[in-house]
Amino acid sequence: MLNMRLVRPARLVDINAVPGLADIRARDDGGLALGALTRHTALVTSRLVHEHAPLLAAAARHVGHRAIRNRGTLGGSLAHADPAAELPAALLALDARVVVAGPSGPRQIALDDFVLGALTTALAADEIVTEIDVPPVRRAGWGFAEVARRAGDFALTGVAAVLHGNRGRCTAARLVAFGADERPVRLSAAEDALIGGARAEESAAVAALDCRPPADVHASAEYRRHLVSVLTARVIGEALARLA
Amino acid sequence: MTRWVGAPLPRKEDARLLGGRGLYVDDVARPGLLHAAMLRSPHAHARIVAIDAAAAARRPGVHAVLTGADAAAVSRPIRPLIPTPVPLPDWCLAVDRVRYAGEAVAAVAAVDRATAEDALEQIRVEYEPLPAVVDPEAALRADSPLLYPELGTNVLWHDVFEYGDVAGAFARADGVLGERFGIQRYASTPLETFGAIAEHDAGLDTYTFWTNDQRPGLTLAILADSLGVPQSRLRLVTPDVGGAFGNKRRPAYLLVCALLARRAARPVKYLEDRLENLAALMHACNGVMDLELAYRADGTVLALRVRDVADEGKNLVSPTQHNLIKLGNIVNGYGIAAVSYEAYSVLTTKCPSGANRGIGKPFMCFAVERAMALLARRLGLDPAELRLRNYVGTGQMPYTTPPGAQYDSGDYAATLRRALDRFDYPAAREAQARARREGRLLGIGIATSVEPAGTNLAAYELVTGRRAASGSAEAAMVRVEPDGRVRASLGDPASGQGYETVVAQIVADELGVTPDDVHVERGFDSATTPWLYLSGNYSNKFSVTDVGAVLGAARAVRDKIRRIAAHRLEASAEDIELVDAVARVRGAPGRGVAMREIARTAYADVLGLPPGEPPGLEARHAYQNALAQPVGADRTVRSQLVFSNAAHCCLVEIDPRTGQVKIVRHVVVHDCGRELNPRLVEGMVHGSTVHGMGAALLEEFRYDADGQLLSATFMDYLKPTALDVPDIEVDRLEHPSPFTPLGAKGVGEGGAIPAPAAVANAVEDALAAYDVTVRSLPITPEQLWRWLVASKEAR
Amino acid sequence: MIDVTVRMSVNGRGVERTVSPRRSLADFLREDLGLTGTHVGCEHGVCGACTVLVDDQTARSCLIFAAQLHDARVVTVEGLTPPEGLSALQAAFRDCHALQCGFCTPGMLAAAHELLAENADPTRDEIRDAIAGNLCMCTGYVNIVRAIELAARRLGASAAAVGAQGGAAPAPPRRE
Repeated sequence: MLNMRLVRPARLVDINAVPGLADIRARDDGGLALGALTRHTALVTSRLVHEHAPLLAAAARHVGHRAIRNRGTLGGSLAHADPAAELPAALLALDARVVVAGPSGPRQIALDDFVLGALTTALAADEIVTEIDVPPVRRAGWGFAEVARRAGDFALTGVAAVLHGNRGRCTAARLVAFGADERPVRLSAAEDALIGGARAEESAAVAALDCRPPADVHASAEYRRHLVSVLTARVIGEALARLA
Repeated sequence: MTRWVGAPLPRKEDARLLGGRGLYVDDVARPGLLHAAMLRSPHAHARIVAIDAAAAARRPGVHAVLTGADAAAVSRPIRPLIPTPVPLPDWCLAVDRVRYAGEAVAAVAAVDRATAEDALEQIRVEYEPLPAVVDPEAALRADSPLLYPELGTNVLWHDVFEYGDVAGAFARADGVLGERFGIQRYASTPLETFGAIAEHDAGLDTYTFWTNDQRPGLTLAILADSLGVPQSRLRLVTPDVGGAFGNKRRPAYLLVCALLARRAARPVKYLEDRLENLAALMHACNGVMDLELAYRADGTVLALRVRDVADEGKNLVSPTQHNLIKLGNIVNGYGIAAVSYEAYSVLTTKCPSGANRGIGKPFMCFAVERAMALLARRLGLDPAELRLRNYVGTGQMPYTTPPGAQYDSGDYAATLRRALDRFDYPAAREAQARARREGRLLGIGIATSVEPAGTNLAAYELVTGRRAASGSAEAAMVRVEPDGRVRASLGDPASGQGYETVVAQIVADELGVTPDDVHVERGFDSATTPWLYLSGNYSNKFSVTDVGAVLGAARAVRDKIRRIAAHRLEASAEDIELVDAVARVRGAPGRGVAMREIARTAYADVLGLPPGEPPGLEARHAYQNALAQPVGADRTVRSQLVFSNAAHCCLVEIDPRTGQVKIVRHVVVHDCGRELNPRLVEGMVHGSTVHGMGAALLEEFRYDADGQLLSATFMDYLKPTALDVPDIEVDRLEHPSPFTPLGAKGVGEGGAIPAPAAVANAVEDALAAYDVTVRSLPITPEQLWRWLVASKEAR
Repeated sequence: MIDVTVRMSVNGRGVERTVSPRRSLADFLREDLGLTGTHVGCEHGVCGACTVLVDDQTARSCLIFAAQLHDARVVTVEGLTPPEGLSALQAAFRDCHALQCGFCTPGMLAAAHELLAENADPTRDEIRDAIAGNLCMCTGYVNIVRAIELAARRLGASAAAVGAQGGAAPAPPRRE
């Protein structure tokens, strides 16, 4: 964006040298605390992430290519808030909270309240993201799938799922689509259907009700809506399989 | 006696390129070098009301500013290749009017690129927008807005060619298959963008250019003409070139650099950034082709009727080539006796079109091979069988197509059979049937094509009605230095093909040395390299002309060595052979003179030369391939000269839910005559095939109705990555051409020409149950999904 | 804009320069240090030509400011090249004809180097994945994949021959 002169900040502060911002910690409650400077590569390779939030590792694997993942950060992805980005959607599915810091001290923002729209967040001009807290996920199944024109591209559309339940029956669901609206969006209709006992395909059929997908040179809104359904069925299947 | 030609040697170029020690144009350092940036039109079509660049010129670090009006005051318009009924002056920067989004209107030279770009923001341009002309069919209509009102039309060229009894064949036919096909705009987009440095020596009043321009001969003529400078005062140097594929040409940018350099009295470099490259360098023409095949019930194709609209964008520099260059081979590899070809070359407000790997032939092949696939379906014939029934046979070689191209050699049927064999076609069909029963969509696509090499510029007489440049030729130099070591140079600057290696192989065989003993100059330098107006890296021409030039020069040196040796050894020159850097008497290996000693004689001890033999051991040779002839009275012409051929078999799998296509296998069997270095040939086949796959599935320069380019970055203009393509499986036949100096033919386009058709045929085959017809490219996941939806709704 | 002074290790040598804060690492390497082996192909992070190693990991030098790399260790293609001859990876590229125009090659080498440093015996799919962020317009990738396979094989064989300390990991030469 800087190279194309699309953004022209008067001042640019490199926070890479701030100590502690790249740490990945297991929290006492069994959750995960991820420093804002956690690189995508670290999400892919970290044992802690694989243990506590494998969905996040799977999502990070889809971000760009290796050289991009080596430099790109979790906090950067959140603060940029590209509607087609994988990580904000995965974090929303995981019910994560964002810790931000500014002159008036730190505050916590639920992911859903943090990303407000395309490239728009609740971050004030004098604040930075410092940490992302992922709550403990116990006995949950997860799924992640996306369709992109090429591997490594921004997704046309993708869906992340975290399901709770037992014996193949779903008791709680967080289904989140990305590239399907101005921001990552919960697929409430599909979640309700699933909890109400509907099968994966039936739930997926109503998934797009919660999306207002964009149209661009790569895909129409109509096709993206179709993909939301297809991918929702896919990730529900994956998540139920993991649950069992 | 060829010891080295034909050997799969590793390349001489590689050690430097692998170590980061190449010298590309952006690496050329000049003292006091300034960096240029260009201001480009945001409008597809607009009148330039006013430009105010005064503020930009005042900025610190800025050394020169040039607007279109400035350029028009101090230079002449770029000479068009095709004269138009009224002059359409085309300066190096837009004057009065812009005709595509991204056309350059002003340029700045500053201490660095960022400073130059800062200054661009201070240039105020007042535009009066005009309606864009985006669709070529709409551009043909009488009520279309015009790019050049003085021309009275957007049509640069329209003509109809008829060869053989077309009407009779259609009347006799058992059936006619008609279809409309389209091709999108795409480009090979070499990884290195186009660039140039210009330096003006005010004392000598000479200009030196360093550039990755791939047609230096033609470009030098344009530079001299537009700058009003004698060619004797121009020098053009081509260093390592980071890929070209036809795209690397824009004399206008060299002119801008020269004019800025003169103003600033310092050397000036301009290197496109990628966005400029995608929006403004050149695209292959998009186009529309209406095609009709007249056929007999047994599948024999009797005649072909084509209406071909080529959308040139704003291309005055090289228009009509997409039409002209497919005319000769519009029948592809088939013995179709009657042809009607209607050509339109149309201006639109889009990026100039230009040469791109295969120029026009990928569209020829897409349309003809799609039509053959449709005909096979209609007749219930296997698509391979239909092709085998229609090929030009080996007994017919050399075969002249109705429009006049001569297919020199090859066994098209054997090439396809080999490909089917390598693909294990029957097993693939069985696997496909099994997969269908499991609900999976597998498709098999076959496409075959001819691949021309060498362009005969006389073909442009069909457009202009008079002969200007003509023929097909190249020049080379071979020199044995005073120490006996060999140096060679060629008027054709390589852009990755490995000429340093292959030229060394050719020279080594002639002079009895090893390729390591032969230093081949990098690139091109008009001050030292022999060259012609026709010189350059284009049209697959290496095997057709360059080899002849190198051989001619090497043989002249060889003969002189033999004469000198014969004189020294008191033998007959005919009895002297060159082996292991020694000239020795055949049958008496003990009697010989080392090359080093002969060189010493030639340069230093010149009294030791045979009487009348001039000193020195160097030869320059220009070679003209005799196949190139003027246009015949019946409007037939060999627009291209020798023809390789290839057969592709492609296996795809389609995800019916998402519409995504995966190329599972792709087999290429090709025949490019004698392979001078099989390792290099195979590498080019791989890369060329992947270019075609990109065109089939990913790449498209898409414009909106206002003429704005929508796929303007490498995030939206999608090149294939390593994950998008399979390992290409390659096999070959080798039918040498009787008409080239070593029997070699063109290589490099034989992948890019048939691959789009092969992939498209495979996709359509996978969708056989859905009655889908693929008429255009690229086949996107959404397009595929829409076909499936439409097909289900139709039931 | 106020110029900033940056100090880093480039190919094992300490360098210190005062640069404009908007100087990209690519321009810094090419223009300020004369290391023109790093090529610039798109300047928006997609083509991979400018890929170098920063602290042993690949990075797009067109997307980083030189000023961000204070105290970092940067290795370019020049640093991956032995003083004499070619590295095992480079030799495999030559032997497999894995380059044509050579413009993508330095970035490809960096990506392949990172892969082999982490995975001595990669599968073809892993190789394709590792280089998928590097565009090549010439080779169709086929011979690049073969070259990386060959390099892995040769390095594995030499490691087996000389034992664990044999320097099998293709670490960049250190010239401190």
